[in-house]
Amino acid sequence: MASSSSSGLTFKLHPLVILNISDHYTRIKAQSQPPPTTSAANDAVSPPPPPRVFGCVIGVQRGRTVEIFNSFELLYDPSTHTLDRAFLEKKQELYKKVFPHFYVLGWYSTGSDAQESDMHIHKALMDINESPVYVLLNPSINHAQKDLPITIYESELHVIDGIPQLIFVQSSYIIETVEAERISVDHVAHLKPSDGGSAATQLAAHLTGIHSAIKMLNSRIRVLHHYLLAMQKGDLPCQNSLLRQVSSLLRRLPAIESEKFQDDFLMEYNDTLLITYLAMFTNCSSTMNEMVDKFNTAYDRHSRRGGRSAFI
Amino acid sequence: MDPFSSAAIARQTWELENNIVTTTAAADNAAASDAIFYYDEAAQANFQQEKPWANDPHYFKRVKVSALALLKMVVHARSGGNIEVMGLMQGKTDGDTIIVMDAFALPVEGTETRVNAQADAYEYMVDYSQTNKEAGRLENAVGWYHSHPGYGCWLSGIDVSTQMLNQQYQEPFLAVVIDPTRTVSAGKVDIGAFRTYPEGYKPPDEPVSEYQTIPLNKIEDFGVHCKQYYALDITYFKSSLDCELLDLLWNKYWVNTLSSSPLLGNGDYVAGQISDLAEKLEHAENQLAHSRFGPFIAPAQKKKEEESQLAKITRDSAKITVEQVHGLMSQVIKDILFNTVRQSDRSQAESSGPEPMVET
Repeated sequence: MASSSSSGLTFKLHPLVILNISDHYTRIKAQSQPPPTTSAANDAVSPPPPPRVFGCVIGVQRGRTVEIFNSFELLYDPSTHTLDRAFLEKKQELYKKVFPHFYVLGWYSTGSDAQESDMHIHKALMDINESPVYVLLNPSINHAQKDLPITIYESELHVIDGIPQLIFVQSSYIIETVEAERISVDHVAHLKPSDGGSAATQLAAHLTGIHSAIKMLNSRIRVLHHYLLAMQKGDLPCQNSLLRQVSSLLRRLPAIESEKFQDDFLMEYNDTLLITYLAMFTNCSSTMNEMVDKFNTAYDRHSRRGGRSAFI
Repeated sequence: MDPFSSAAIARQTWELENNIVTTTAAADNAAASDAIFYYDEAAQANFQQEKPWANDPHYFKRVKVSALALLKMVVHARSGGNIEVMGLMQGKTDGDTIIVMDAFALPVEGTETRVNAQADAYEYMVDYSQTNKEAGRLENAVGWYHSHPGYGCWLSGIDVSTQMLNQQYQEPFLAVVIDPTRTVSAGKVDIGAFRTYPEGYKPPDEPVSEYQTIPLNKIEDFGVHCKQYYALDITYFKSSLDCELLDLLWNKYWVNTLSSSPLLGNGDYVAGQISDLAEKLEHAENQLAHSRFGPFIAPAQKKKEEESQLAKITRDSAKITVEQVHGLMSQVIKDILFNTVRQSDRSQAESSGPEPMVET
């Protein structure tokens, strides 16, 4: 069941979907267990495990790339193991009005692993999208884990024991964000102050962001380096495919070194310097204006007084 | 794991400094912290009955926005590009706080400063909230949001009248404005939450609202109506699971921090800002020229205002410059990181030509 997919599709997952599933799960959980203040009496009874949640993921497929942008909740009927079809169509119609480019790509649920009954749901969606995807989120918090507890499954037709069967296969995915999305994820993840802040704190925040990203890059490179060293010493078996990947990664440096890039980069640089210059000018003229005003005030009074004294 | 612990400490300092109530905590009170997600229908109905806001036009002072709602609103606002989009927020109330749990988009597009829900949008609204209730989202609508791409977070005349109408019939109701363009430009979410005063109400003492840049062609609209509403404090909250996921998410998307370039995406906005500044400068110059010729006629009060006008322009230009310099800084850092490595590297690499990576 855990074999990796061979369809060659690239999946791009947006953080919004992850938060949406997480919110759906937390909400259902909170609703099924009222806060202790209101139910202090039956505290001894351990709460039942929160039910699984189900929903639909929507997005765009361009060529071999599938981009999952958004998701919405669905109703699940536990007795028949099916999703409420009329509800799905209604929701789909509603989302179509706001996001006309998004199509139904598949569905999501929570749990630690794909279950047998999930294939029923999966098959039921096949008339909407002929190869739906299944996004699974594991809501149990495990601090030792360093990877996102999210798996994306595709279905593949395999012949097992002479019978062709659909099974779930895992596929890899990458996290994709648009600029605004990245900023707001950053915002809620690190909880920056919502109101402006001075230029200094803004600069600090900006540089901290870059710094932590570079630190991450550094730690990744160190991992690779350790691995290569270990391999050189013979502690680890030599894996040519991995070596080739590392090599191709290194060959990509320097990233851009064309004349055109240098030109554009310099242009950008000079533009920014020019803007700085303009701002300085504005600042200067404003200060100058203030000075002239003050001078005028002083001079006016002086001349008036002078006039009066002359008159007297 | 030194870098990670220092990052954690940095974040905690952030949270402490900014007095942010994280609903996340250690595992033992994780359940209690997620209590904010519990919807108590009876309490909400009770609150609706009491109407504590009816007597005090300044009753609601704070807004809590869930991570999900913020993300949904910003992404929707950004997807509209230069067109204003709008949507509704769902949530509840808690004392003087309005809690926004979720948001959804409406099929309405506005132009300029005119965002207004139309008849089919109402139908959509009803449909959507009904299906949402079935799916376990029990909260009612507590407000609306719309975007002001590129001209800051404030309420225009039409927004004020829309909000006033809603506050008459749909209390508690909140208006949220998001500027997606400035969000990208400044690298932080530009958002404002507002409630209007009832008609004829005079605010006792004008609280000093945060200064923000407003384009010349909107300044009149802003000035006429800016005394008719007040801004609410916004804080954010997330569930324990959200918190965990966001932490893990960072492990995946740190690349995007490096690969993004605010300079490229926001060229138009910066150019627009500069030409707007030029126009404002011209205005200020004209006025100054007038007052120069008749310094005795110009009352002192007016003079003071002009000064602040020039000062304002200075502040605006400083702001846009700071943003631009930030963008350039990341570009330069990236250039050093990925392009200048070669100088020291190549001399060695070229001498031996294409060499095998590791000799075994």
